[in-house]
Amino acid sequence: MSDVDGFDLTRRTVLKTAGAAAVGASFAGCLAGGDDQPAVDPDAETETAYGNCWMCHHACGQELTVRDGTAVDINGVDEHPRGSAGPGTEGTLCPKGQAELEKLYDPDRITQPYIREDGELREADWDEAFEYTARRLEEFADEHGPEQLLDATSWSTTNVHEYFWGNLYGTPESIGRGRHVCFGGPHLSGNLMGLGANMRFVDYQHSDYIIAWGRNIFESFAGQWEPKGVLEALENGATLVVVDPQHTPTAQKADHWLPIEPRTDGALALAMGHVIIEEELYDEAFVEEQTHGFDAYQEAVADKTPEWAEDITGIDAELIREIATDFAEAAPAAGIALWTGVGQYAEAQKASQNVFALNGLVGNIDRPGGFRMWQGPPLQMNPFEERGIDLPNNAEGRQPALQLSPEYEDYPFRHTTGIGHTVVPEMVDNGHIMGMVNHYDNPLTDGSTQAWLEAIETMDLVITIDAYWNELTRNADVVFPEAIQLEKDTLINYAPTWSAYHDRRWISASKAVHEPLGDCKSGYEIYKGLAEELGWGEYFPWESEAEYNEDMLANIDYTFEEVAEQNFVLLEEFEYEQWEENGFPTATGQFQFDLDEEGGYAESADELGIDTAPEWIPPGTWGDEPDDEYPLHFYDTRSVFFSFGADQPLEHLHEQYARKHGLEGEDYRGNYLVMNPRDAEPRGIETGDMVTVETAAGEGDEPAMAYVSERTQPGFVTAEFGFGTGNSHEEGMNTMWVHDTQHDPVSSQVDRHLAAEIRPAGGD
Amino acid sequence: MSEQWMFYFDPNRCIGCHACSVACKQRHDRDADADDWRTVSHLSRGEYPDFEEVPISMSCMHCHDAPCEQVCPPDAIIKRDEDGIVTVDRDRCIGCHYCAWACPFGAPTYDDEGLMSKCNLCLGEGPGGGHGQPERQTPEDGGPTPACVDDCVGEAIKAGPQSEVMAEATEKAAERFEQGAYGKRVIVEPLEEDADLADAIREGDEPAGAITYEG
Repeated sequence: MSDVDGFDLTRRTVLKTAGAAAVGASFAGCLAGGDDQPAVDPDAETETAYGNCWMCHHACGQELTVRDGTAVDINGVDEHPRGSAGPGTEGTLCPKGQAELEKLYDPDRITQPYIREDGELREADWDEAFEYTARRLEEFADEHGPEQLLDATSWSTTNVHEYFWGNLYGTPESIGRGRHVCFGGPHLSGNLMGLGANMRFVDYQHSDYIIAWGRNIFESFAGQWEPKGVLEALENGATLVVVDPQHTPTAQKADHWLPIEPRTDGALALAMGHVIIEEELYDEAFVEEQTHGFDAYQEAVADKTPEWAEDITGIDAELIREIATDFAEAAPAAGIALWTGVGQYAEAQKASQNVFALNGLVGNIDRPGGFRMWQGPPLQMNPFEERGIDLPNNAEGRQPALQLSPEYEDYPFRHTTGIGHTVVPEMVDNGHIMGMVNHYDNPLTDGSTQAWLEAIETMDLVITIDAYWNELTRNADVVFPEAIQLEKDTLINYAPTWSAYHDRRWISASKAVHEPLGDCKSGYEIYKGLAEELGWGEYFPWESEAEYNEDMLANIDYTFEEVAEQNFVLLEEFEYEQWEENGFPTATGQFQFDLDEEGGYAESADELGIDTAPEWIPPGTWGDEPDDEYPLHFYDTRSVFFSFGADQPLEHLHEQYARKHGLEGEDYRGNYLVMNPRDAEPRGIETGDMVTVETAAGEGDEPAMAYVSERTQPGFVTAEFGFGTGNSHEEGMNTMWVHDTQHDPVSSQVDRHLAAEIRPAGGD
Repeated sequence: MSEQWMFYFDPNRCIGCHACSVACKQRHDRDADADDWRTVSHLSRGEYPDFEEVPISMSCMHCHDAPCEQVCPPDAIIKRDEDGIVTVDRDRCIGCHYCAWACPFGAPTYDDEGLMSKCNLCLGEGPGGGHGQPERQTPEDGGPTPACVDDCVGEAIKAGPQSEVMAEATEKAAERFEQGAYGKRVIVEPLEEDADLADAIREGDEPAGAITYEG
């Protein structure tokens, strides 16, 4: 039984790769359990309840088995828009989603409020915590003004936060996830070109040709409809192309894997455009009628031959021709999925602009199998208006300091974005930001960790809503423990657009499965309590989060109970080619190859001396380029087990992460530094050794364990983010410890690519 | 015996995410650091960029010939007549590890009590949960879907009576099974290899797009 298509699948091999260490572990004796589910009567009747997964915030439906009042099992919801492949298909949960069951009963969670007294955090009850926080907020407003409080609540499941901090408290400073710390370059390019912020998602099931451009869809996805959709497309005969310096699980399934030189995506895209125009394979009618700036684009690609790109990208010129030709011939049923892989380096804005230009060129926009312009449900996003509440706008007239103060004139992104993650510590130094409110979004994982740690120390007031202790919660003045998704009534109101249903709007909701652990409260209840203490009680008439959600559904023919009862409902259909009627949401109303008409962008470009049209910006123009001292490209990555640096404390996840690397026998549960043997051997590094990373900013906070593998390109090393100093799971290294304000100067996106050297950590 | 239950695995649809391992732990209320009854291995070969990797999800296959049962000194392992599921009577198990040596898949693991525990095809819950249970019902007849099948993101794992699983397999997989592949213990879909790389590796060429690195 040893022949599995050339892979040796004998007992010996499998034991070697997975089982052997597990046998070893069995002798380790009794270890403290990770599951703290209460004991339940196995004969008790079971009930079914629903949730919407919040682990990566992409809302796959969760079906809970509840026995004797305890949730004992968790599964997917069939036909769910995010967790299934669509009509007639089963819903599942990825490991993160399943681990929400562990989180529900996790004794390590923060389960009651804490306030700072005489320099120390102490337990408090809710009345005390609300009173203390309200007083501190009032003092802060008197001393600094609300404009000096940073709203860092970008990832919440209710939108009540933005009304509280923006309208009532009146701060104009807010950090957003998409624009500032996740995929700022593509976010900016996508929006300005006319594709919107959802430019990552292909109409997979109808596609004949999918390019996963720096995307690892089978491991890092925005809901499981993505890998499921791609698998369906492949079964239907679609071609999958993966552009990635790493051989990822997505590359494993690809027809073509293009192991590109890091950060040369823009060159590959321009060369593809060159071929498509040269071969006259572009969509002339679409280009003529629906686009702006084609002349400038044509000029930009005129000399960008595949041979030119071969030298830069390391991809064979003939293969570039083949990919470009096949992509254009498959169009419009050809889609490009692009996200953080082309989003997290300093030249990312222009690189993504070059890639997105291909959509306009082949006319795959909002056509079956290409790029889809998804429609969200017609939610009433302002429940205050629905209740007839005259909500003030106290942020009005208060300008973000970045756009006002001369200190920031060296930052071209001040024209395109209100603030940048990497500039916050400097703004704290300058006295422009003196406080912060945070919600389930730890800035210490997102860039410049050392500077941010100092900034938190300097701030007069730090309020945080979180589930686990970390360097931010420990340094806060107030810690509010929020109920997790399964403990509250939830309406998924953030971006419920893209899904396995290419032509349907949808909405998903769920009732609390369980009482909150300890003294946790829902986000709405926290804001209501705080508002009452601040004298704003009149603005919060809703008794509960469910009641608030009810008003969000004012435009939809379902009540909250009705949606929650079945977990999701499909709403009206929408058609392809919506641009025919609506045009594009851009300055010219057309798809824009050239961003010359976008005022803020044009100002940024002018200051930087770059073109508004697509252009080749070589790596090293703004970001770090490896040199003799720091010869390696160091990137942080995402695995299927973790998202947003928030899931690392969950034992099921870090355990399986270790097992995936065959390192479960090691007494280490941090992240792994992945490197090629050709880099590891000269440095005397083997799998299982502890190594340190060093960049121009200094040495890493802690060593990580090396994982030496041919899956990564020589010269290209990676580690998973969300571990180490500042994080909830401190074992391992913080990949952002060695980051020193590098960013994309156009979009302000944190540059998560660094030139580095890796050394054996020495010792044990 | 009525019909033998079997597992089916399609490496082409497995995305290597370990959801099956976590699902198994959840269903059987087992600690995160307990041994996996369903393991995911990542087998690889080749040098960058001529590199290939394939994820393999495995568990106890409830073999028709159950080598573990044959070597068990206290007869604690039972190959059930009614559905072919291999269960463990933990009252009889002496923790001698003979079954681990006999098993072609490395499936038996040993818990804190030193007793053997492994997949029971979700016949029951928890270690030993399969012992003495009535005949396994299909989901259509009210039985539970095995957790690993239920939660497989790529629908790469299936389980059921042999005829049902065979009916869902491709012709090629069924044919290979009949010819004795994998000891007729599990049905595995043939791997659709990455065409470019596979051709290149077979022909000894560098695949298109290959990069030459120094050192």
